[in-house]
Amino acid sequence: MIERWALVSGLLGDLETYDLIQRDLKKTRGVTSLFVLGDLVGPERNCDALLDRLKNPHRGDLKPDCIYGWWEEQLLAERGFRGERKADALRLSQGEDAVNALLNTVNPSHLNWLASLQFGFIELDCALIHGSSSDVGDNLTSETSPLILLDRLTRLNVNRLFTARSTKQFHLELTGGGINSQVKDLNGKREQQQEVPKRSVIGIGAGVHYTLYDVGSDKTHFLTAGSKTNPKRKGFA
Amino acid sequence: MNHAIISCLHANLPAVEAVLNDIDRQGIKTITCLGDLVGYGPQPNEVVELIRKRGIATCQGCWDEDIIDGLNACECSYPSQLAERRGHLAHQWTDDQLTDENKSFLANLPTSLRRDRLLFVHGSPNSQHEYLLPDMDAFAALERVETAGADILFCGHTHQPYVRELRGGSIHVRLQNADHDSGQREELTLPMRKIVNAGSVGEPRHGTTNATYVIHNDATDEVEIKEVAYDVGRTCQAIVEAGLPKVFAWRLSHGFEFAEQAEDASHVCER
Repeated sequence: MIERWALVSGLLGDLETYDLIQRDLKKTRGVTSLFVLGDLVGPERNCDALLDRLKNPHRGDLKPDCIYGWWEEQLLAERGFRGERKADALRLSQGEDAVNALLNTVNPSHLNWLASLQFGFIELDCALIHGSSSDVGDNLTSETSPLILLDRLTRLNVNRLFTARSTKQFHLELTGGGINSQVKDLNGKREQQQEVPKRSVIGIGAGVHYTLYDVGSDKTHFLTAGSKTNPKRKGFA
Repeated sequence: MNHAIISCLHANLPAVEAVLNDIDRQGIKTITCLGDLVGYGPQPNEVVELIRKRGIATCQGCWDEDIIDGLNACECSYPSQLAERRGHLAHQWTDDQLTDENKSFLANLPTSLRRDRLLFVHGSPNSQHEYLLPDMDAFAALERVETAGADILFCGHTHQPYVRELRGGSIHVRLQNADHDSGQREELTLPMRKIVNAGSVGEPRHGTTNATYVIHNDATDEVEIKEVAYDVGRTCQAIVEAGLPKVFAWRLSHGFEFAEQAEDASHVCER
């Protein structure tokens, strides 16, 4: 069977949005996998109901494969699951109130499950990560230097990197180019030429904005849950 | 003006003295050290004290960091259990020998030094443990220099001196956003950048027993890789007398070694 993946992130405890996406997926032909690329939790609302649903899918739900995102990293750090590190990034950017708000949105009974989530998945020649191979908080956008995007792809030796941290939907394809390098050492000089490999970075969106990826044809479809968007119109090969 | 860059001294006093004499003979006043003052070698206090006495600007190496913070690097550090055991022995011995004052000096070294468009680090701008090998992916190499905001990146850690010039680069992209039906195309022209690896004073791995360092002229950007012979036998004898693993003396006397460098040098340490 030709695989079609659904890629979701940034639910931030919003069960209603997740339910909307699940209903969309039931009506969409051929979706074989659902990947939730982190930020399951957030500081705005109680996240327990969503976490319960992700852990125990309803009958007919597409079973989600989840990884942790930036908000989980902050929560787990503050709860002592990351050694000596605390939620420093959150504290620095949004203050102590945000840290306390986050702690109050997740029942501690979910922490072990959240701590068991992986940093990312490698599926075929694709990496599925909340941020990037560099860091869970790495904010890759269509504005990020292609040199940095190429580095993030190279670190994992994958052809496609699906990222969620920016919350944006984009598909940036590296289509060509190259570089010359000359190395001089005690044995003399040598020249090297290297071409840019054909690789892509795909921002999958957040919340109601999610992405379908057709593995066989390498097409992405940027969708909004609950809208009547036809995946064929938004496809990008 | 010429300035000299030295790295990876590894507690080898005869090698350090020979290199500093060579630099002094050329009248070079500015010296920058890229760390790893200690580790493997038999004279950690003597080498640290010489660098302190000379007031040489120094950034912290991976060994300097490990002596202070303890060994907690990820499994990338050693290619075998034997190499790891030897490394731990050397770590313990160095930790026992170093005075509190010298440990405090190592603890307070910066991880990088910057002079205008020149950046000095031990491994890479990302980590003291990352190897920038001469043949690593050229785009990844350029990314390290460019992201750090430098024109020339001086590093060590590999113990292999080289100068790598990255030029004539470009990347073509096609972008599709959710609200655009057709992809827009762009071409990014990449800047010319240079990586200069100073090799190793105290534990060379480039094929001969000579210590290496580099001289950079900041007016012309010319870089010269220098080799300096020193009394290898004196260091080897001191290694054996100190009770350090004899293989450290053997590899110094042969000018190469197979151990203590991760097999997958492109691996980025997750420490």
